[in-house]
This record gives sequence, C-alpha cells and structure tokens, in this order.
Amino acid sequence: MSAVLTIASLTMREAVRRRLVAAFAVISIVLVGASGWAFYKLSHGGAFTSGETNLALPQAVVLFMFMFSFVVALSASAVGSLAVSSEIDSGVLQTVVARPVRRSEVLLGKWLGLAGLLGAYTAIVSGLQVAVVYWTSGFVEPDPAAAAALVFAEGVVLLTFVLLLSTRLSALAAGVIGIALFGLAWLAGVGGTLATAFNIHALHTASEVSQYLLPTNGLWQGAIYYLEPSSFVTQQLAASPVGQGDPFLALAAPPWQYLAWTAVWLVLILVLGLVSFDRREL
Amino acid sequence: MSPARSAERAAVAGHGASDPGGCTPPGSPAIHTIELSKRYRSTVALAGLSMTVARGEVFGFLGPNGAGKTTAVKLLLGLARPTGGEAMVLGAPAGDLQTRRQIGYLPELFRFQSWLTAREVLVLHCRLMRMPRPGWAAAADEALHVVGLDGRGDDKVGTFSKGMQQRLGLGVALLGEPALVVLDEPTSALDPVGRHHVRVIIRELRDRGATVFLNTHLLEEAEHVCDRVTILSKGRSLATGTLAELKVRRPSARLRVTGLPGGWWRRLASFGRWTEQGDWLLVEEMAAGRVPELVAAIVALGGRVEAVIPEQQSLEESFLKLLGET
Repeated sequence: MSAVLTIASLTMREAVRRRLVAAFAVISIVLVGASGWAFYKLSHGGAFTSGETNLALPQAVVLFMFMFSFVVALSASAVGSLAVSSEIDSGVLQTVVARPVRRSEVLLGKWLGLAGLLGAYTAIVSGLQVAVVYWTSGFVEPDPAAAAALVFAEGVVLLTFVLLLSTRLSALAAGVIGIALFGLAWLAGVGGTLATAFNIHALHTASEVSQYLLPTNGLWQGAIYYLEPSSFVTQQLAASPVGQGDPFLALAAPPWQYLAWTAVWLVLILVLGLVSFDRREL
Repeated sequence: MSPARSAERAAVAGHGASDPGGCTPPGSPAIHTIELSKRYRSTVALAGLSMTVARGEVFGFLGPNGAGKTTAVKLLLGLARPTGGEAMVLGAPAGDLQTRRQIGYLPELFRFQSWLTAREVLVLHCRLMRMPRPGWAAAADEALHVVGLDGRGDDKVGTFSKGMQQRLGLGVALLGEPALVVLDEPTSALDPVGRHHVRVIIRELRDRGATVFLNTHLLEEAEHVCDRVTILSKGRSLATGTLAELKVRRPSARLRVTGLPGGWWRRLASFGRWTEQGDWLLVEEMAAGRVPELVAAIVALGGRVEAVIPEQQSLEESFLKLLGET
C-alpha cells in the first residue's frame, strides 16, 4: 500500500509542478467569474419576468455544469493517456518498475493520484459554482453535492478507461479514443432522449446499450437530475410536447442498479488495466 | 521443466541456504541463465543464452548493436518475459519482487522525472526500495557525492545535461548498496573524465563485493574493468571467458629473421601458419609456450633471430574474429 501512496503523491506532485493545477485554477476562476456575471444578469437584468427567470436559471446551471463536466472529462482523458504510455516511451517507468514494487501498485497509485486530482477539482469548482449562483441569483440546486459526485464519477469512468488504453496504446491514440468515445456516448444519450420523445424503438435500444458500455453520459444525466428542481421539469414537460427530447432535462434519478453497474464497470476496467500493464513488455 | 533442468535450477538456487533477508542464497551465482530466449513475433532477439555470472565479479556483456544485450538485461530484471529458457538472479527467478531490493539498475534509456530535483529522484527511489526513512537524506547525499553531482542535488533534473542525467542514473542504481548492479551502456553520454569516473566506481563496487553486470558495446570499457566477458551476436553467446582467455585464443608471434635457407617454411610449418609481412614473418595459431622452441628451430636451420615479438590479439581483434568480420 505504501508504494501505491508513494506513486499517488508523486502523480499529484507532478500535476502541481507542471502547473496543471495552476492552469485549472486560473481557468476555473475565470469561468466561475463569468458564470457569476451571467447569473447576475439573468436574475437582475430586468429582461425577463420572474417566471422566465425561474425557467432560465436551472437551464443555465446545467449548461455551466455541462461545461465543467466536459473540462473534467477532457482532463481525465488527457492526464490518463499520458500517465503510462508516455512514461514507458520516455523510459521513466522502467526505473520505477525495476524497484521492488508491483506494477499493479504503480498503476493503482497513478489512478488514485489522478482520481484525487479530479475529485478535488470537481469539489472545488462545484462548490464555487453553487456559491456564485446562490450569491448572484438566489437559486439553489436541489442536490448539488450529488450532482458533483456524479460528475466526478463520470470523470473517473473516463480516466479508468483511458488508463487501460494507455497501457497498450500511445498517449495520443489513448487520449483521442477516450474523448471520441466520450463524445459518442453523449451523442448516443441525446439520440436516446429524442428516440424516447418520438418513440423510435431501435434508437432507444442502441442508446441504452451505449449507456452501459461507457457509463459517462448516464452519470451526466443523473447529475442533471440533481441540478433541476422538479417544478422546473414539470413546467418544461408541460411547455413542450417533445419536452422529453431535451438532452438537458432529466426526468428521473439514476437507478441504483445503474450506479451499481457503473461501480462494477469501474472495477472491471481497472482490473483489466492492471492485468494489461502487468503483461506489458517494457 | 525437464528433470535435468529442475535439478540444475535447484542447484543454482542453492535450496536450503538463505541470506538474512531470506531471498538470496549466498552460494548461488549472481546470474544464471539456461537457454534464455526471447522472440518478438518473427524476430529472434535472444536465442538460447546460457551463462553464469559469479558473485563479486565484473561481468562484461559485449556485442554489436542489435545483438540482444538490452533484451537480455530486460529479461534478467523482469521487465520483459522470456519466450524460452529461464533465468535466476541472486538465487531467485528473474523479476522476483524481493530480490529487486538488492539490484541496482541503470537503463540504457536513462530518464527521470524532469520536474523533480536530483535529490527528490533519489529519495523517491529510497522510498520505492522501502529503505528506512531516516536514511533517505544521507543515502541521497552519498549517491550525489559518489557520482560527482555534489551541489546539484537541488537542481531540477530537467536542467541537467545528458551526461549529468546518466550520472544521476548511476547514483540511483547505487542506492542501498545493491548486491548486483546492472549497468546498460553506462557511459554512453559521458565525456572521457566521466567514463574514467564510472570505471573507478565499478572497481569500488567490485572491492566491496558487489557483482557488476556491464552491458556495453565499448570494448575499451570492458578491457578496463571486466573480470570476464561474454560476446553476444544475433542473440547468441559466441564466447565467454576472461579477457586473457579470449585474447590468447589464437596466439601468434612476429619475428625478424635473416639467413634462413630456401624451403624453410616446410621445416617450420608445424609451428603454425606463416605469413611474410615485409621484413617480418608472422606465425599465427601457434600453441601456447612454443616461442623458445621456435627460436631454437630457426637457429638450428642457420637463421639469425634479430627480434621476436609474441603477440596477443586485442579484445577488438578477438571480437571481430568471433563476429566473422575479419
């Protein structure tokens, strides 16, 4: 376990030393500041009635959270893809695994360190966002902690998947595939909501399957649910005959079976990554 | 595994004996391989390497580029898996987790975390080796001193030249007084002073009883420090022995002789293969110790021996002949 923690702390220190953390901090402050301005204008600009504002605020919250979840996913893919293959290519990893440490400890340490960074980023940004939204507009999300947890889980899912790819593919290939599949899963989710609205059975099934193959969008849909008040969902559905087709509208919390499957999926992919790295010729 | 191989392995592992750490039988060789092979699809990188490296010796692993030297090192360290044969290192199967505590390794591609300082790299390896925490700082300072990086310990590795990074790599390999130090081309980035320094370090390692496995294509380097060498080509070991053994494999003598009668070479053919080179005669493939007998025979024929230069092949000549390059 000590080797896992050694590698985890090394991974976090690398993020700090390479100014990854500083870059995220600056970008996040700018984005949260911009969102604060936008929320202030939405609620105090005078352009909307109170009813319109009540409809606009949850949507704006979801859009900003969507942007942050995209940053989390992109970051997970980028750092995960570099974590193994680039260190093998450069030769850094050979000196580490020649020591009395198991390769599984090295990979687990990297996973833990990167997941810790994603967790810290998600928690800080979500907390700031909640505070800024409340301070500028008075709007409070139904369960922002649950939403943040699901966005974090989304990032960990992608991180774990890209780490697995990184044990076999180049950093570039692993990163590109990770982001491409993340985008595809989101698109499949959008297709699924449209399929539900317009009753297209085959598309709905394909979308459902994709949510299980790479559960990033399923988790994101869960995060949306915890950001939108039920009154807002009811209003949206009443306002539009195809309200169910809105990709930024979640009608139900993620079922526990889906969350359990996500946990199983994570463990499976992580174990697969450990086996793959263990068998990798260096 | 065949019964014979099992018995050999058991003998090599020195069953029943153990060191204080419980993982390296003291009577076992530092390295022992039996028909160790590695194939990458259709490419044979190592074809049945069998060798034994005794504890406490400096063993040179020589060969041209692409001979399979680095592949062999990776197999010995467990970084790659063999496709055939087996290898025992410090009495345990190659790659054994506990045994790796006693192995220092300088890879051919020496790269370290460029964003760490040299001291932090060394401390990281102290942690990975599970050395007691109170000893980390002293071990790092000692390693920096030994490899000539005094005063650079707090500089980022990313600011180091290649030579300095190789020195740091050597320092990392020396941490914890390992029983076996595997050096893969340890002077490839060093200037002549640095190369000399590495030779001094290798001799010091031998003096304290460590085994050094020196992987190099620089014959001069091997000649300076190695007790024994093996010459590898196309994944096969062509010859193994002390430097003296390899050099005298085909002894010869160069003579300056006058007054020999016609047809002399028929009378002296039993001494070896004769060649005229200007004023000199060269006799090759002569049995060891026959120079006095040869001189007597020439004198008996009426010749005057003005000079005799017994010649040994240089390691380079042996190397090239073994590789079929001459």
